[in-house]
Amino acid sequence: MKRSVPVLVSLLLVILLSSCGSKPPLEDLTLALILGVDLDDKNNLTFYELNPVFSKGAKKGLEAYGVRAKTIRDSRRLFDGLTTGEVTAGKIQVLLVGERVLEQAGWFSILDTVYRNPNFSMNTRVVAVKGPVSDVIFYNPGEKPELSLHIKAVIDKSYDRARAVKGTLQELHREVYEKGMTPIISEVKKKKKLEYSGMALLYNKGKYAASLDVPESTLLLVLKNEKRHEVTMTIPVFPIDKEKDIFHKNEMSIQASRVKTKIKTGYKNNTFHFDVKVNMNVNIMERIFPEDKVKKAELVKLMEKELQKQFTDLIKKIQKKKLDPIGFGLYARAYHYEQFKKVDNDWGKALAESDIKVSVNVKVNAYGAVK
Amino acid sequence: MVKHNKNQLTFMQYIFLIHGVQAGVGLLALPRELAEIAGTDGWISIIIGYFLSTAAGLLIIQVMKKYPNGTILDLITHYFGKWVGKIAALVFGLYFAFLASIIFIRECLFIQFWILPQTDLFILMLLLSIPTYLIVRNNIKIIARYSQLVFFMTAWMIFFYFPPLKEAHWLHLLPVVKEGWIPIFTAVKITIFSFIGFEITFFLYPSLQKKHKASSGFVIANTLTLSILLTITIVIFTFFSPDEITQFKEPTISVLKIVEFKFLERVEIVFLSLYIFVISTTVLPLMYSTVFCLSQLFGAQNHSKFVSWYLLLNLVYIMFITQSFDRNDHLSKLVQPISLFLAYVFPICLFIYVSIHDRVKRRTNL
Repeated sequence: MKRSVPVLVSLLLVILLSSCGSKPPLEDLTLALILGVDLDDKNNLTFYELNPVFSKGAKKGLEAYGVRAKTIRDSRRLFDGLTTGEVTAGKIQVLLVGERVLEQAGWFSILDTVYRNPNFSMNTRVVAVKGPVSDVIFYNPGEKPELSLHIKAVIDKSYDRARAVKGTLQELHREVYEKGMTPIISEVKKKKKLEYSGMALLYNKGKYAASLDVPESTLLLVLKNEKRHEVTMTIPVFPIDKEKDIFHKNEMSIQASRVKTKIKTGYKNNTFHFDVKVNMNVNIMERIFPEDKVKKAELVKLMEKELQKQFTDLIKKIQKKKLDPIGFGLYARAYHYEQFKKVDNDWGKALAESDIKVSVNVKVNAYGAVK
Repeated sequence: MVKHNKNQLTFMQYIFLIHGVQAGVGLLALPRELAEIAGTDGWISIIIGYFLSTAAGLLIIQVMKKYPNGTILDLITHYFGKWVGKIAALVFGLYFAFLASIIFIRECLFIQFWILPQTDLFILMLLLSIPTYLIVRNNIKIIARYSQLVFFMTAWMIFFYFPPLKEAHWLHLLPVVKEGWIPIFTAVKITIFSFIGFEITFFLYPSLQKKHKASSGFVIANTLTLSILLTITIVIFTFFSPDEITQFKEPTISVLKIVEFKFLERVEIVFLSLYIFVISTTVLPLMYSTVFCLSQLFGAQNHSKFVSWYLLLNLVYIMFITQSFDRNDHLSKLVQPISLFLAYVFPICLFIYVSIHDRVKRRTNL
């Protein structure tokens, strides 16, 4: 009798292990890999979902659906009605947000469930789509790997090469709530093919403000002092007559092996002052013009001048839009807390009025293998 | 009465027992609670809380030195008589019972919310009750061994917190002392409860092998707790923006959601599954203290019966009353003043009384 008690108890416990009973096999799941949010012509919220099909009889390996629903969670009800398996959100790789959604103020609150429900992954890349989301989600290139992998790979590669932000849900959340900076996400557009087109800068609550092209994105990342695998820029060194210039004979490409941006802050006469110092150690990868065109000592000066101009233009563009994707606000808060607190509810405006100076210091490590 | 054999606990076991009771379920929400009051200066409050708790713990040891071969209950009986001793046993017993039960239920709620959302709370608690019973029915030595084992089993988990540092913004910590010292001192009222649990020293002292090392052991245990609290809080303060951190209920778990390895996703679930062990080193000694006090109160030889009754009572409680985080928070707020009294105020009063008493006695003997 005494021996049978543990046996009975353990049997009882095995029966109680309820969560093992309802584990569905992979084939019966519909793993959403891309989730899309867009507005149609009549401003109805539309949700898109793309998932792989595992069953043998299927012709295509992927299926995509678009439904009109009230919220993200509500859209699951409709997706469940369309797909074979239970729709699960845990593996979403990319969240596409349409241009029309981004133009609405306060769109960020529709993502609530993503943060509230612990099943969602925080590493999902949020990507803005220039144009309708349906163009992207129903795009089936054929020669490319599966779409979600493709978009993620394009973003991650651009991230490594200092052209994009990862823009994960976690980062977006931080940037939306952070008063001292404004959010950035990556942007794709589909003309004939799907391509990465740069960054979308958003206002503090998520509303679309401006786009940056790919070279500008690199400049922005340098200003943000983000460590990346590789930073490459192609810049003109001297002006050239456009009509004769077929081969861009004023351009050179540099790869920065070390980039360090220091931002110093000051507060005088009710305005913030920022002194941005960009130090770069570069290798010259490409120089289209002949050596004797510019002297070596002068070349560095010209590069510095050109880079400084580009940085200043970028900052002016940002200031004009009253944005702060670089995060000057973080510096202002850290070093001038009391003054920052007075303006933190409208930091973009305060930054637009503040004085930002950029200086660039270039050191050339190597001029390359040929003269 | 439970016999506490002398010279049971080694130095290491004593350290990990105290540390285990301190570090537990409170750590999951601590950074948010601090940020709500003191912003990113909250880490200073942890250090202040550390000094206060160290002082209180050393005072407890000084009191226990007056009566080295008995627990606090024996000491009270010795100085105040049998009935006061019984009342003390009841008070301590009830306090530990409530504290253990609140943490136990909170542990189950966390498991349910993050890992097993479709499983009934009752079943989770039942499953946890069985190993709990098997350990708590033994003497303090076994529990101490368990705490030591769990510490070495789980200490590496702190490495989970290093990948988020790659995205840390150290500027968030500046300026130090943003809004003056008042919020920092206000937040101390939270951090002194992060160190709570050291009052089990009242019950551990007579079982110590090397009593002369009791103070240094306590300081080591408390410092260990401090270093873990500080590391995690600073990682979280630098990772989350100061404006967003209060949005996350348990930032200690949320921060792990971005950690991803090639072979492993959703690290927070792995973390939390292992963290159940860490929480158990809080719950088990508290439960042991509960049943110890009760058996002392009723003069029972064997405390294992009390363990099963206690666990059964907990199960009945959650079966009939629906549990939620809000209710749990509310209850733990109710227990806090009692903690404050028993761990901080009571040792001071007792120390003063015992010192005066001994001095008066010595004088009359002269």
